[in-house]
Amino acid sequence: MEICDIKIGMAGSGGDGVVSAGDILAASAASEGINCLMLKSFGPQIRGGESSCRLRLSTKPIYSQGDCLDVLVVFNWVNFSRFISELPVHEGTYVLVEENDKTEQIPLIDIEKCHVIQVPFERLALEGAQNPKAKNMVTLGILAELFCLPKDGIKRAIEKKFFKKGNEIIVANHKAVDVGVNFVKENCSPPSFHFVNKPQKPLMAITGNEAIALGAIAAGCRFFSSYPITPATEIMEWLSRELPKFDGTVLQAEDEISAINAVIGASYGGIRAMTSTSGPGLSLKLEAIGLAAMAEIPVVIVDVQRGGPSTGIPTKTEQADLMQAVYGMHGDAPHAVLAPCDVKDCFEVCWRAFDIAERYQMPVIILSDQFLGQRKETVSSFDFSNVKVGDRSAPILTEGNLFVRYRDTDTGISPITCPGMKGGEYLASGIEHTEEGFPSSQYETHERMSTKRAKKLNALEDSYGFIRRYGVLKPKVGVLAWGSTKGAVREAVERLNKEGFASAALIPQIIYPIQKKEVKEFVDSCDRLLIVEMSHSGQFEHYLAGQGLLPPNVLHYRSSGGRVFTSEEIICAIRAAAEGRTFVPKAQIKPLRLEGKDEE
Amino acid sequence: MTEKLTAKDYISSLKPIWCPGCGDFAVLNAVAKAFSILELPPENIAVISGIGCSSRLPGYLKTYGFNAIHGRALPIAAGLKLARPDITVLAVGGDGDIFSIGGNHLPHVARRNIDLTCVVMDNGIYGLTKGQVSPTTPLGEKTVTTTYGSIEDPIQPLKLLLSYEASFVAQSTSVDPKHLVEMIVAAMRHKGFSFVNVRSPCVTYRGKEQYDIIRKRSVYIDKLPDYDPTDMRKAWHHAITPEYISLGILYKSERDTYTERQARLRQTAKRGREWKIEELINGFMP
Repeated sequence: MEICDIKIGMAGSGGDGVVSAGDILAASAASEGINCLMLKSFGPQIRGGESSCRLRLSTKPIYSQGDCLDVLVVFNWVNFSRFISELPVHEGTYVLVEENDKTEQIPLIDIEKCHVIQVPFERLALEGAQNPKAKNMVTLGILAELFCLPKDGIKRAIEKKFFKKGNEIIVANHKAVDVGVNFVKENCSPPSFHFVNKPQKPLMAITGNEAIALGAIAAGCRFFSSYPITPATEIMEWLSRELPKFDGTVLQAEDEISAINAVIGASYGGIRAMTSTSGPGLSLKLEAIGLAAMAEIPVVIVDVQRGGPSTGIPTKTEQADLMQAVYGMHGDAPHAVLAPCDVKDCFEVCWRAFDIAERYQMPVIILSDQFLGQRKETVSSFDFSNVKVGDRSAPILTEGNLFVRYRDTDTGISPITCPGMKGGEYLASGIEHTEEGFPSSQYETHERMSTKRAKKLNALEDSYGFIRRYGVLKPKVGVLAWGSTKGAVREAVERLNKEGFASAALIPQIIYPIQKKEVKEFVDSCDRLLIVEMSHSGQFEHYLAGQGLLPPNVLHYRSSGGRVFTSEEIICAIRAAAEGRTFVPKAQIKPLRLEGKDEE
Repeated sequence: MTEKLTAKDYISSLKPIWCPGCGDFAVLNAVAKAFSILELPPENIAVISGIGCSSRLPGYLKTYGFNAIHGRALPIAAGLKLARPDITVLAVGGDGDIFSIGGNHLPHVARRNIDLTCVVMDNGIYGLTKGQVSPTTPLGEKTVTTTYGSIEDPIQPLKLLLSYEASFVAQSTSVDPKHLVEMIVAAMRHKGFSFVNVRSPCVTYRGKEQYDIIRKRSVYIDKLPDYDPTDMRKAWHHAITPEYISLGILYKSERDTYTERQARLRQTAKRGREWKIEELINGFMP
């Protein structure tokens, strides 16, 4: 059978090079214009430990990581058991397993329904390629030959990856790939399916974190300060390499608090500035974000969400920073919260965040997550010509007249200066202040200035169309979701509509202030409404309910993070919703208990 | 050519909230005097502060100012200076703001040698919140939160700054406004991070006698034989001596600022040419 959509998973110990093999496969797909989405997953160890990756290759657009795997490579069952819920198999999955693995109890219930192929990965690497480390390259050769994946692309990707290490290494790795290819030719019968594609124009392969960083530079960000935190650090790493080329500054701050304050200082100086973090860091930054709201300084804060609260699961995704991002500040602190929903979107949402921050002189929080930030996706292009960041409202300065920094206007947006502008001197302050910027503790001033700042939110809500809608106009079930869950939700909706089940989805990209009119229209168009989110307590649902946007019979499908949704389960949830039921998934397979090992 | 500005020209019309006799008045005047001596246009100066009595200071100046949140004057000042090296940046605050809640920022701004001046008005008390013990309150002193006398040893700011690799460390006092102006001018002229600890009496919570105590115990270290501010061992002696309060420049050294090093880093990154945003795409092509 010819297929144009294949899902491959690999699991092994850290030294097995599983992720490296995934990267090469992704690059080879990109070089032939095949769409690809790749997820990596690691154990908590710094080096070694276990790691896994899963890739989806398709000649059609990819929205999600896909449901069950078509192919699973297992170097070691014990390592695999750590990723059991991330690497699901089904009847007919080809499982390539290390012949030499001694695990007694195989942690896969339906293993007998799969096509299990015993492969001497270790022996092939050692004897065929004379290099025990080349196991992953042998694997690529095997996968390419068995399922007709782009062999030449793999070899090109190896050349690029090992370019700096010299020709010898490249030749050795190419040889290992050939060893894998020959193993299949000599030992395996053709599988029941193989991948077909016509080479197309090459695509970019980029992660969400990189796309955000790219969007920042495109938006004119020239100051970045951050503190290392998983899973957001790649933003700082990439910018520290690229931003100096544009005369920008990257400051790795001494703590999260310093990073946001340095960004506020830079922006006060008239330079577009951004910081990045994850949930715990956002908690630390909240006071300063309130300062930016009060002093009306434009700043962009990226939160790549991870499992919480506290340290939670740093390497896994979740959508449970929503309440903190929207309501975390003390006092009434007008700001905006945006959420990208795929890698390409990370670029656009980031430059739009700068646009909103600069125009409305307020902090803008971007809520990404680990699933978006660390996944690699193929993207055809980024539209730089479309990037338009509005300028700050500049004053006309007359000498001798006091510059009224916080002048109340129809939109609440005041003229703003920065140090160096003569006649524009003013006091920015976190203390309540008059229009002139003088400190005040009077009720009248506080009321008036609170109204002035809040007005900016109305202007923003009315003027910024930034929402995605998929599916039919009059759905039996409409799904409201946000951020990275878009992929599985969109896929589910499109699959159901193809089957004749009328469904639709709405994905707001401005979370705060929520575009009430658009959401209300959508809610009213649905027979039944289903909220899908990766938050155990249902933060998105409670947030929308608080805005008065939800009907009383709303249903939800939620889970904590740590595992991303599949379109299959969203389909079940939508079907259940049509009958007025909440879908409860089957209990997860119990992971293999590893005696005496640090479980996290 | 515009007329030369006097200290008064830098002072705003806002009336300070400080108590009569507060040492911070002298610091405000000294800062304004230093600006006029250095002939700095007000629009090219930014004075950044956190929270506290002394942190109200930026509001009393006609320059750019930022009265931010508790403890964060230094990171805001650092961000501004790195983004806008053309602006003269001053961070001001009290002992609670700079040494306690914001204590983690001082070592890093000092070791990075960011070209800004930090003036601490050290009064040994939390004045704005009405008299609680601070990190520089002397051992045994009674405050509203140390009813039976403080049982904590105080921080010694000068020792900290010397260990933090600060390239300019000085101490002065509101008791001697002339010396204060000299020290602030010297600090602002210094290339790199400069720190001035100002013994600034809080008459309300620590008593009028503070002026006398400081006056009696002060020694102008530049008047001592073999004074040498480039000698780190001598600087340590002046910082740790229990005999007297050292007034003057304890230590001064020349080294690259963060901005200078950054300029070289940018040259390395740019490899001798200008970059276009579109080129960044190439890094993601297979």
